[in-house]
Formats: sequence, C-alpha cells, structure tokens
Amino acid sequence: MILVGLLLLVALVLPGLPLGEWRAFLLDTAQFAFLISALALAWDLLARTGQLSLAHGAFFGLGAYAAALAAPALGTLPALLVGGVVAGASSLFLGLATLRLHGMYFAIATLAFSEVMRTLVLKAPFTGGAIGLPVQPAFGGAFPLGGYYLAVGVLALAAGISLLLSRSRLHYAMAATRQGEAVARVLGVPVIRVKLLAFMISAFLAGLAGGVYAMKTLFLSPYDAFGLGRAVEALVIPIFGGLYTTTGPLLGGLIIVSLETWLRLRIGEGYLVVYGVILVLTILFLPRGLVSLFHRKGAGHA
Amino acid sequence: MELLLQTLINGILAAGIYALVASGLALAVGVVGIVNFAHGEFTMIGAFIAYLLFVGTGLDPFLSLGLAALVLFGVGAITYLGLIRPVLAAPELNQMLLTFGLSVALQNIALLLFGADTRVVSTSYQGATLSLGGLSFGVPPLLAFGLSVVILGALYGFLDRTRLGLAVRAVAQNRLAPGLLGIETQRVYLLAFGLSAALAGVAGVMLSVMLYASPTVGFAYTLKAFAIIVMAGLGNLRGVVPAAIILALAEALVSTYLPGGGGWVEAVFFLVIFVALTWRSWRAA
Repeated sequence: MILVGLLLLVALVLPGLPLGEWRAFLLDTAQFAFLISALALAWDLLARTGQLSLAHGAFFGLGAYAAALAAPALGTLPALLVGGVVAGASSLFLGLATLRLHGMYFAIATLAFSEVMRTLVLKAPFTGGAIGLPVQPAFGGAFPLGGYYLAVGVLALAAGISLLLSRSRLHYAMAATRQGEAVARVLGVPVIRVKLLAFMISAFLAGLAGGVYAMKTLFLSPYDAFGLGRAVEALVIPIFGGLYTTTGPLLGGLIIVSLETWLRLRIGEGYLVVYGVILVLTILFLPRGLVSLFHRKGAGHA
Repeated sequence: MELLLQTLINGILAAGIYALVASGLALAVGVVGIVNFAHGEFTMIGAFIAYLLFVGTGLDPFLSLGLAALVLFGVGAITYLGLIRPVLAAPELNQMLLTFGLSVALQNIALLLFGADTRVVSTSYQGATLSLGGLSFGVPPLLAFGLSVVILGALYGFLDRTRLGLAVRAVAQNRLAPGLLGIETQRVYLLAFGLSAALAGVAGVMLSVMLYASPTVGFAYTLKAFAIIVMAGLGNLRGVVPAAIILALAEALVSTYLPGGGGWVEAVFFLVIFVALTWRSWRAA
C-alpha cells in the first residue's frame, strides 16, 4: 500500500527531476513501463477468479485501435474512454460465451480469440490493414508531457481499482471462485457473474492502457498491437511479481520492462526469450512471486 | 464439380499432418494430463532439423524423419524430466503457464539463432504433381499423407496390441489404479511425452518441405492441434483422426470458396474451437 503510493508519487515528479541527457529516453521508457504495468494489474484482476487469459494483448490492441480511430472526432479523453469501452464490451461477448469453461479450455479460447482479432484488424477496411494506422499524439500534441501523465493516470487507476477490489466483498467472492467453484456456488457466490465482472473491469483497463499506448507510439500495426508479446508481458509480470496482489504486478512491471528495454537495445528481435525463461523459472522456483520474498522476511512466516 | 473434388482432396491430404501433430498433443493431454502450449515448438524444431540436415548434408527430408523423431523424443523426455515432472502436482494454472513460457522461450531462441526468415527445403520433386482424371496431386503432400497414415497406423497398433501401449491407455483412463496394478506410471508419462514430441517433430519435418521452417511456424499448429483435440474431446485419441479431417476440409473449403479466402483460413480453427467448446460447456451446464 505504502509502496504503491510511493511509486506513483515518484512517477508524478519524475519529469521534474534533473535527469540530464537521458531525460527523453528515461521518460519514454517509464511511460511504457507504466502502461505495461497497468496491463499486468488488469490481467491479475481476472486471474484472481482463477481464469488464465491469453486475450489481454487483444484487449490492449482493441483499445489502441478504437482510441486511435475515435480521437480525431472526439478528442483525447473521450477517445480513450471509447477504447476502454470497446475492449470491455468485447470481453463481455467473449466472456458470455466462454466463462463457463474452466482452466485450459478458457485459456485456449482466449488465445484463439486474440489470433482472430488480429486477422479481423488485418482484413477490416478502416484499420489500415497490414500497412498500419498513424495516430495523433495526445491532446493534439499541445502538452509535451500529456501522454506521460495519461500513462501515470492509467497506472494510478489500475492500482487503485486493484487495491479497492482486494478490500471489497468482491475480493472474497473472487478468491472463493478461484479456490473451488462448486463450493463458492454453494456459499451463494454468483460465480459466472463474478467472473464476468472481473473480466470486464480487467479488459476495460487493458483497453485504456492500449489507447494511451497508441497515442505514445503514434503508429499502430496489427503485428505490434495484437502481437503475442503483449499477452505474454501481461501474464509474466504478475506471476514474477506476485499473483493476486497490487504491489507484485507494479514491482514486477518496473523490473521486467527495464530488463526488456535493455535487452531490446542489445539484441533486438527475440528479446521475448527473457519472458519465457523468467516464466519457467518463476513457476519452478518462486511460484508465489517476488512479493513472497518480502513477506517471509518481514512477517517471519512463509 | 472438379473444383469441389480438388478442394476435398487438398483438404484430406492436409489432414495427415494435422492428425500427426494433434495425436501428439492428445497423448500429452490425455496420458500425462499436461496442456502443452509448447507442442508446436517441437514441430518447429523438427522443421529446422530437416532444414539444417538438408543444407548441411543434402539429406532428403523424408529420410531425416527417423533422426528427427529420435532427437525430438529426447527433447520431449528432457522436457518432461526437467520441467513437467516438478509441476505434475501443481495447480493447472501453473502447468499451463510453464508450458506457455517454454513455448515463448523456444520460439525466441530460434528467432535469435536463425532470424525471422522462412526457410524452404527445396527438393527436386517439390513442385512435382501427379494428374489423375483431371485432378492433380502434389507429390510432397501425397508423400506426407502416406507417411502420416503409416505412422498413425503404427501408433494405434502400438497402443492397441502391445503391453506397453495398453499401459499407456490404462494410465490415460485412470491415474491411480494402474500404479496399484504394478504399472510404473512415471515411466509411462515419460514415454508418452517423448512420443508426443516425436510425433510433433515428424510433422515438422514434413512441414519443412510443404510449407517452410521458421521460428513461428509451430505456433499456428499448436492452435490447430488444440482445435482438433477439443473437437475430438480432450484426451480422446480415437477422435483425433476424424476431427483432423473435419478441420482440414473446413479450411480447404474456406480458402477455395470464400472471397479473399486465404486470410480467413486462419480464423477457421478459432471457429472450430469456439463452437466445440461453447457447445460442450452449454451442454454440460
């Protein structure tokens, strides 16, 4: 909780600090890290109900495309909202059809969903297809730091919702759903509705982050926005940091995105290898994530 | 009429490779109980083995099948011992994430080693076709189909007629009882996972001739194999062959008859997964 606040505070004042000649690069990387961390927080919300989604890259991409297409007509903030709503609505459809599925079936269905979304965006007449889609900067470029603060805002929103949800009645409903659906149902938890709600909030946040991302990169292509890379980042970060927490995805996001940026500079294509390796090592040796290390030290129990 | 016949033939010929990949995945899911997202990457490794052997020594891909199968059996066995066995008792979510991580890692290691280019094994008979009554059959698909039938026949023979095969099927049906009856479950798992990878690898060798070898070539086959085994019923080995034929035929029909069909083929397996899964879940509910 304190750590979360501290991180957001640092994010707010970062542009004011004397960063020297690396300032532009640092701010750009930080903005990217915030957006990916927000995506990771969003993914974690759904994971709390026990569902493994591989569609969060698609929600991110849908939000990005929707916001980019809506921005010229509506302006920046309403367009971002549109992005979130489009992602949330698509998750409603996907969820209504698939959330009765368990475990592997749901994961496979979401993976297939994201592959098809990419095909649709490639084929649709208004998305620029394989060529790509140029995007206006946030607020028409009026504020140089506008995009940066939007990213901070999305991160704060995601962290806030994540904290709020872990203190609400819904938290218990989600945990019960995850730990045993049949038992949860007997206890009076409307399992499907809980999952659907978590899915929609989660997809909405992913879509918001996608919209800000579009206004940051100024150019979208189906391979970038709908690439498997986003879905991988969205799930590796919470697992590495610590599932079902707010601190975990935040901390994991900052560490992993820094690592990713460094690797991207050094080896270019294939940088995702680090995600694969981290995922495998974490599952094998640190299944409860980075956060569990702190808990063991601080509270004296595992 | 001729177009329809030709389309159906193309579909059936393509079903051979699909059935190979999917039978492998069905073994992993049905016997070991692991949803292996890295299955397609084993196919990719097989394709690269064929390509490297062809470039290095000029060995015909169809002759390197056996070697690729052996290597992939080893890769599968190592994967099982090093990665899968430690998480056999872990929650399903962890198992899926582990194999997904392996998939991402293998894909990107290949990307680092070979780059993103597609590499085709250009054999002398690559473009050759046989004509029969106005219909044409490509030689490589015909060879691949024939070999797939032989390999699948051998696989089913093994599962049906040998003691070891019976043990594999027993473990697929029940996790506990075979152990009590003196079947060494762990060794059966090892065998099944190795076989699973070997089948994927063999399919990869065929792909290197018919399609190409590239770091991402396997991923689509993971999804298609999932579509097939979901249609067949997870872990149901018997249903794999008919399901593979249905998927391949559906893809062939879409690519022939839908305007601009080429790109939509990639959406067919999604529809299949989707319909099969939702139908199942609503029927169960």
